[in-house]
Amino acid sequence: MTLLAPWALWLFSIGGAVVALYLLKIRRHRQTVPAIEFWRALVSQAPVRSLFQRLKRLFSLLLWLIIVALLVLATGNPIFSFGKIKPRSIAIILDNSASMQTIESEAENKTRLQLAKEAINELTSRRPVADEWMLIEAGREPQVHIAWTRDRRAVRDAADSIKTYEGSSDLAASKELAQQLLVGKERPCIVIISDGANDEIIKLSTEDKTVVYWPIGNSDDNLGITHLSVRTHRQKSAHYAFIRVLNASGNEIETRIVFELDGSTAAVEPFTIAANSEWEKTVILNAPQGGVLRASIDRDDSLMLDNEAFAILDPIRSASTLLITPPEDAYFFEQALVAMEPLVDLDSSSTISPDEFDQTAATIQDFDLMIFNNCLPKQIPPTGKFIFVNGWPAELPITVSGIIDSPELFVSQRDHPLTRYLTLRAVMLAQAQRVELTQRSTVLAQTTEADPLIFLIDQPDRQALCLAFDVLDSDLPFRNAFPMLMRNAVAFLVTEQPNWIRSEYHIGEIIQPVRPLPRDVSEITIARLSADEISQQTIPTNGESFTFSSTLERGPLRISIGNEFAYAVVNLTSTKETAIGPVVAIAQPGDNLVLTGRLLGMVPWLALTVIALALITLEWLTYHFRWTE
Amino acid sequence: MSDELFDKDFLKKLEYLDLVARRLVFGRQQAMRTSVKKGASIEFKDFREYSPGDDPRTIDWSVYARLGELYVKLFRQEEELDLWILLDTSASMDFGEPNKFDHARRLAAALAYIGLANMDSASVVPFAQELGRGREKLRGRSRVFELLDFLTQLPAQGETDFELATKTFVTRVRKPGLVVIISDFYGLLKAQSAIDQLRFFKHQLYVIQIASPWELDPPIRGEFRLVDTETSEHEDLTVTDSMLKRYKQAFTSFSAELRSYSMKYSIGYSLADTETAFDDFVVKVLQRGGLTT
Repeated sequence: MTLLAPWALWLFSIGGAVVALYLLKIRRHRQTVPAIEFWRALVSQAPVRSLFQRLKRLFSLLLWLIIVALLVLATGNPIFSFGKIKPRSIAIILDNSASMQTIESEAENKTRLQLAKEAINELTSRRPVADEWMLIEAGREPQVHIAWTRDRRAVRDAADSIKTYEGSSDLAASKELAQQLLVGKERPCIVIISDGANDEIIKLSTEDKTVVYWPIGNSDDNLGITHLSVRTHRQKSAHYAFIRVLNASGNEIETRIVFELDGSTAAVEPFTIAANSEWEKTVILNAPQGGVLRASIDRDDSLMLDNEAFAILDPIRSASTLLITPPEDAYFFEQALVAMEPLVDLDSSSTISPDEFDQTAATIQDFDLMIFNNCLPKQIPPTGKFIFVNGWPAELPITVSGIIDSPELFVSQRDHPLTRYLTLRAVMLAQAQRVELTQRSTVLAQTTEADPLIFLIDQPDRQALCLAFDVLDSDLPFRNAFPMLMRNAVAFLVTEQPNWIRSEYHIGEIIQPVRPLPRDVSEITIARLSADEISQQTIPTNGESFTFSSTLERGPLRISIGNEFAYAVVNLTSTKETAIGPVVAIAQPGDNLVLTGRLLGMVPWLALTVIALALITLEWLTYHFRWTE
Repeated sequence: MSDELFDKDFLKKLEYLDLVARRLVFGRQQAMRTSVKKGASIEFKDFREYSPGDDPRTIDWSVYARLGELYVKLFRQEEELDLWILLDTSASMDFGEPNKFDHARRLAAALAYIGLANMDSASVVPFAQELGRGREKLRGRSRVFELLDFLTQLPAQGETDFELATKTFVTRVRKPGLVVIISDFYGLLKAQSAIDQLRFFKHQLYVIQIASPWELDPPIRGEFRLVDTETSEHEDLTVTDSMLKRYKQAFTSFSAELRSYSMKYSIGYSLADTETAFDDFVVKVLQRGGLTT
C-alpha cells in the first residue's frame, strides 16, 4: 500500500486528542441529589454489569481509535499495488465524436462520453503514484484541454467540461499531438479513451507500445445513414436520391426511411437490412422545383445522430447557348449540344458565325453560355459564362508564349465538377498553344510539362472555360470525353449555378467558396434552415472569399451572396461513426496502466471512509444502547 | 436570595391569601369555634352544688332565690387554636430549581400569616437534626415581619432527624394544635414514626411534601457521580432510560405511600411542586380544608 498524500500521516497525532475527547465523553459528571438512598435502592435492583460496562467502554474507545486510523488513511489516499511503480507522464485522449453519443442501455442509459469521463475519474484516482497528466480532446481537431499538471482534480474538471462533438474525430492526429507534447517526458504514456472509431484504434495502439486503448461501450444497436446524394435527371425532370444505410448491429432489422422535401413527405421506403451489412437504394423524386431533402430512419436506436441526413435538390432548368464558330467547324459542337437536351434548351439556342457575332454583338440577347470556337471576337459581354476553344479575347489574363507540338493531355484536377467522368488519356493533339496564366485560374488538364491546356478563368463577373488547342485538330470529338466535357461545362457554368459552395459538407468541415466572390460583396449571410426556426449569421468576406466554420450542427444552410443564394447541407454520414460496435482492446487497460486494486468495489480512500462511517454508526449505537439498556 | 425571598409582591400575595382564607375557611367556622379573638363570650355548660372553696362569684343567686340552695354555674373551657409550622431545614431541602427551601419558606410564611390573622397564635419551628428555636406563639399580623426576618436568616444545613425533632416538640408543646409539617420527607419510615408521635399527642396534622421538578423527572443520562447533599456520600452510576423509569416509579410510590399513610390517619397531605406558585398552592390547601380543625 502506498499513500498518495503521505502528509496525512501527521493526522495520526490527533489520535491522542481523540482518546482525550473520548475520556472526556465518558467522564462522570458530578450531580448532587437530595437523597442518595433512593438511587442506591435502584442500583441494587439492577443486575451487576460493571465488567461488561468496562469492556464496552474499552470497545468504544477501540472503535474510535480504529475510526481515526481509517479516516487518516483515507485522507492519505492510499493505493494498493504490487511492485515498485514509477510515476508516468500520461496524455489522455478523450474521443468525443458522434459515436460517443451512443446511449449504453446496460450502463444506466449513459452516453459513451459520460462513461468516458467516468473512466477518466477512475484512471486518475486509481493510478498508484503521483503522475503528470494532460488531457486532449479528439474532436473536430485535437485540442489540449489541460496542459501537463499533477492536479488530478483539474484533469477531471477539464474532462467534465468537454462537450459533445457531432462529427468524426481524428484519433491519429490527436495521438500525434500527444506524442509531440510527450517529447522529453519520462515514461510517456498515451491513453486513448474511445469506443474504437471503427478499428482505427487497434492500429494506433498496436503500432505504438506507449498507447493504451481504454475501450468504452458495448452497444451495437444502430442503424445509420452513411451516404445521401442527389443527382438531377433532366430527361425525366426528376432528382435521383441515392441513400446508403449501415446496420451496425448483429440483428436483421426491418424498418423504413422517410424522405421529406421542404417538410412534406416525398417518399417512404420500407426495407430490411441484414446484420452488419449495408443497404442502398436510389429513389426518384419528382421535384423539378428543387428544395431541401431530409431522409430519416423511422426507428429509435442507441445513436440517433446518424438517423437523418440532408441534401439539396437544385431546380432543374435548361441552358440557352450561343455557339460562335465558323460554319464548317460547327458540327461536333452542335451534336454535343443536341445530345445534352434537356440540359440545353435547343429552342432558345442558336449558332452564328464570328462575323455575325461581331456585327450583332451589341444587340445579342442574353444567353446563358457563349461558346467561341476558333475565333477571336472583338469584344465580349462584360459578364457571363463562356467557353473559348483555341482562342480568346485579349482582355482575359492569358499570355500565349508559343506552340506545343503533339502534347499529351492529363487531367490535373480529378475532383473538379468540370472533369467529372472525364477520361483524356491518349487523346491525340496535333498541337496546342503554350500559355501562361497571369491571374489565379484553375488548371483542369495539362501537358506532362505542366503547361495548362484546359483551364478555368474565374473572375468575379465572368467565368470562362478555355481550351488551348483546336478541338477539330485532334481526335477528341470522336471520343466520349468531348460531349462529356461540354456537358460538364454547361452543367457547371450554367445549370448548377450558383456554385459558390459545395452542396454537402460534413460536420466540422470549414465552408469556403469554390470560386471568387463578386468584388462588391463585403459580407455574406448564412442562415440555418431547420424545421423550427431559421437562425442567421452574417460574416464579412475576406477579399473574394470567406470562411465559415460553425458547421457543428446537422442541417441545411442558405448562404446569401449579394442577390444570389447558394444552398448546402451539413451531414454526419460517416461509416466510422455509424459502426458503433465495440472494438475490444487487445490488453486490459488496467493491466497496462497498473491501476490500484479496489476495496469493497470502491477506490481505497472511499472504501475506508465508508467503513469509518459504519464504525461511527456502530459506536453510536453501542453507546446509545448502553444508555437505554 | 434572601432579599428576593419575601419581596413586596410576596406581601401583597399574603394579603390576598388572607382574604381567600377568610372566605374559604374562617368565615364558615366562626360559629363553630370559640376564640378569644372573636369576642369575650362565656358559654354556660352546667350547674353543680356549691362546695367550699368555690368562687362565690359563680353562685347563681336566682336559683338560690327559687330553691333556697346554693348552686354554682359551670362554664365551657375556652379553646385556643395554635398553628405550628414545622419547617425542615436540612441540607436536602436546599436543592432544585426552583429551590425547595425557598419554596418551603414562602409556604411557611404564607401559612403563618394566615394563622396570625385568623388564629390565636402562629409559630414556625425549624428542624433538622434536632428541633430548633423558631418564632413561637406569635400573635397579630404585625408580627409577620419578625417572622419573615427569621425565615430569611434561616439556613438549610445538616441531616434530618425527624424523630428526635418531633420528640422534642411534643415535650415542648403539650397543648394540641394545628401542626403543619413542611419537608421532603426522605427517610419515610422515620418520618412516619415522627408523625405518629405528633398524632398521639392529639395534634391536628397537615403534611406538605416539597419536591423540585428535578426530583420528579431527573434530566440526566449517562455517566454520573451522584453525591448526597446531606451526607456527601456518593454513588457512581450509569444513568439509563430504564433506570430513570425505575426512579420515577420509586418516587411516585414514595409519595403515594406518604399520601396513603396520611389519609389513613386523617392527616392532610399535599405535594408541593416548586414549580407551582406558592400562593396557588396555599389556595389549594385552603380549599382542601388544610387549616381547619
